Amino acid sequence: MNPEGVNPPAAQPSWTERVNSDRAAEVSLERDAELMLRVREGDQASFGFLLDRHRSPVIHFLYRMVQNQGVAEELAQEVFLRVYKSRSSYEPTAKFTTWLFRIASHLALNWIRDGRNEKRQASLDEESPDGTAKQVPDRSRSVEQELIYQVKLREVRQAIESLPAKQKAAVMMHKYQEMEYSQIADVLSCSESAVKSLLFRAYESLRMRLAHMA
Amino acid sequence: MECPQQNDAGVELIIAYAARTLDPANEAAFERHLEVCASCREMAAAQRTVWSALDELTPLPVSSNFDAKLYQRIAEEQQYTWWQRLFGANWSWRPAMPVAAACAVLIVALLVKNSGPTVVPQTQSQPNLQIEQVERALDDMDMLKQMGEAALEKSTPQERI
Repeated sequence: MNPEGVNPPAAQPSWTERVNSDRAAEVSLERDAELMLRVREGDQASFGFLLDRHRSPVIHFLYRMVQNQGVAEELAQEVFLRVYKSRSSYEPTAKFTTWLFRIASHLALNWIRDGRNEKRQASLDEESPDGTAKQVPDRSRSVEQELIYQVKLREVRQAIESLPAKQKAAVMMHKYQEMEYSQIADVLSCSESAVKSLLFRAYESLRMRLAHMA
Repeated sequence: MECPQQNDAGVELIIAYAARTLDPANEAAFERHLEVCASCREMAAAQRTVWSALDELTPLPVSSNFDAKLYQRIAEEQQYTWWQRLFGANWSWRPAMPVAAACAVLIVALLVKNSGPTVVPQTQSQPNLQIEQVERALDDMDMLKQMGEAALEKSTPQERI
C-alpha cells in the first residue's frame, strides 16, 4: 500500500533483489581480490578481467563528479595505471572496490580542488555551454520533449555541481554505486557519522533545488 | 510508529525508503506512518523527486580506445629505467634549470669565499731564532771593539801618531 503522492519508483530494485545482489557482490569481491593477487604474481590477463569489471563504474563515477567525459576518462586511465603500478604492494586487507574508489575519488577531488574544472570548462565553451558533453538525443522523444529533457538534465547537473565536492562524492557513491555508509566512509577516509552528515546535507540541498520537478 | 523526524534516524529512514533499501517489514510500517504524517509524506515525496531526477544523469558510453590507451601507458611505464621512475614519467629539465643555476652560483660563491690568500702559520721557533741572531751579532761587535782597544794599548806613541 502506497500513500497518495509517494509511489516507489519502478526502476529501483526491490529489497529482495538487493539482498540477492548483495550476495552476488560478496562473491565478486572475493573474485576481485583473487584477480588482483594474480596480477601481483604477474598475470596480465587478470588485470584485463579487473579492467572489464570496473572500467564503466569508475568512468561513470568520475563523469558524474567532474561532469566532463574526456576528463573522466583521463582520470580513469590514471586510476587503473595506479592500480597496476601498486600491484606488487597489494594486500587484500580492504575491499578491492573500496581501494579502487578511494583512488578515483582522491583524483576527482584533487581535480576539483585545483580548479582545473573551471579552466577545462572555459576551454570547452565551444563544445557545450556548461562544459559538459551533451547527452545523445533519444529518438523516441519529440523535439519538445527533448528540449524539456535537456532543460531538466541541465538543472540536475547544476544542482549536483552546486554541492561541495565531498558531499557530491558521497551522493555519487550512495546513489549510483549503491555503497553502504561504512564503505563510503572507508573510501573517503572518514567516520560513518561524518558520511551520514555529508549525505543528509547533500540531499537536503538537492531536495530544495529540485523541488519544482515534483 | 513514532514519527521518524523526531529522532536522528528519521532522515536516514526517509532516504532509505526513497532508495527502496528498507526491508519489507520496515517499509510497510513506514508507509502506514506516511498515511497519517503530512510532514514525513512531504519529505519522502521530495526525496523521491531527487532520486528520480538523479536517474536522469545517465553516463555516456566509454571511448572505444580506452583500453588501448591504458595498455600503451602501462607499456611506456615499464620501459622507464629506475631513475626515470624516480623523477616521474613527465619529468622535464626545463623547470629544474633555475634551481640548478642557483645551486651552481651558491657552490661558486662558497669556493671563492674559501680560496683567499694562504697564510702560512708562523712557527714558534722563528722569533727565538731572530733574538739569538741579534744577541750573537751584538756579542761579535763587543768582541771586535775590545780587540781594537787592546791593539791600541800595545802600540808605541809614535805608532799611534
